[in-house]
Amino acid sequence: MSVEAQAAPREYRWRMPAGWWVRKRHYLGYMLREFSAAPMAAWMLWLLVEIRRAADGPAHYAPHSSPAFVIFSVIVLLFSLYHSVTFLSLAGTILHFKILDRPVPSRLIVLAMFGQWLVASVIVAFVLVWFAR
Amino acid sequence: MSTEARSRPALGHLFWWFLFSQGGVITALLLPVHVLVQGILGPLGIVPVVDRHYDTWVNVLGNPLVKLYLLVFFAFAFFHFAHRLRYFLVDVGLHAAKSVPAQVVFYGGAALVTLITLWIVLTTAPLSFG
Repeated sequence: MSVEAQAAPREYRWRMPAGWWVRKRHYLGYMLREFSAAPMAAWMLWLLVEIRRAADGPAHYAPHSSPAFVIFSVIVLLFSLYHSVTFLSLAGTILHFKILDRPVPSRLIVLAMFGQWLVASVIVAFVLVWFAR
Repeated sequence: MSTEARSRPALGHLFWWFLFSQGGVITALLLPVHVLVQGILGPLGIVPVVDRHYDTWVNVLGNPLVKLYLLVFFAFAFFHFAHRLRYFLVDVGLHAAKSVPAQVVFYGGAALVTLITLWIVLTTAPLSFG
């Protein structure tokens, strides 16, 4: 037996060089997309606070409406649209299935995902607006 | 071979990946409309929105379906965020984010937000079916 075979198996650890993601625009876009989950999580924590404010009672209830909050929401909306569009477009690549032995075209899958997004958005918007009357 | 003997299904990874992918779908479908309506159109007064007034907000929050919806939405979204941000840190070179303590912090944080959401939806507005 050779010396290599006797030695305990060693793991080859590949490490990305530091700052790899600033080298190409695509990498930077990917990392920006990943990071933008943080402001989106912050926005949802705000929504949680808004829900909790309903416990303040009618006299003290005050919804969030500062210009800074609206600007923050605009930024979060742009990020979340970027996330949704890129993620739902990917469905055509990820999902593969057949109906009646024929593969479903990826464009149809993507279209179905966007249709689902539209339906969900309309329902949520309807509830949020209709019950405000 | 020693490599075969050591390989085992990554059940933990499967579990977190399931929560991550479901969270991705749910958040992608639901978050933009909430941000648009409650974060922009409502505060600017372009459309009436339930959370602008106490009465309508409490009325909607009292609905059991709304409570269930909020709990599912927040739970999946935050497990998704936890997984994503943990791997973001790995990507920028912070390999400690792969460790068990880091997993406890991130997924524990998501579990904490889920519990807080559960507490809030159960205690904030009394149940109503109207």
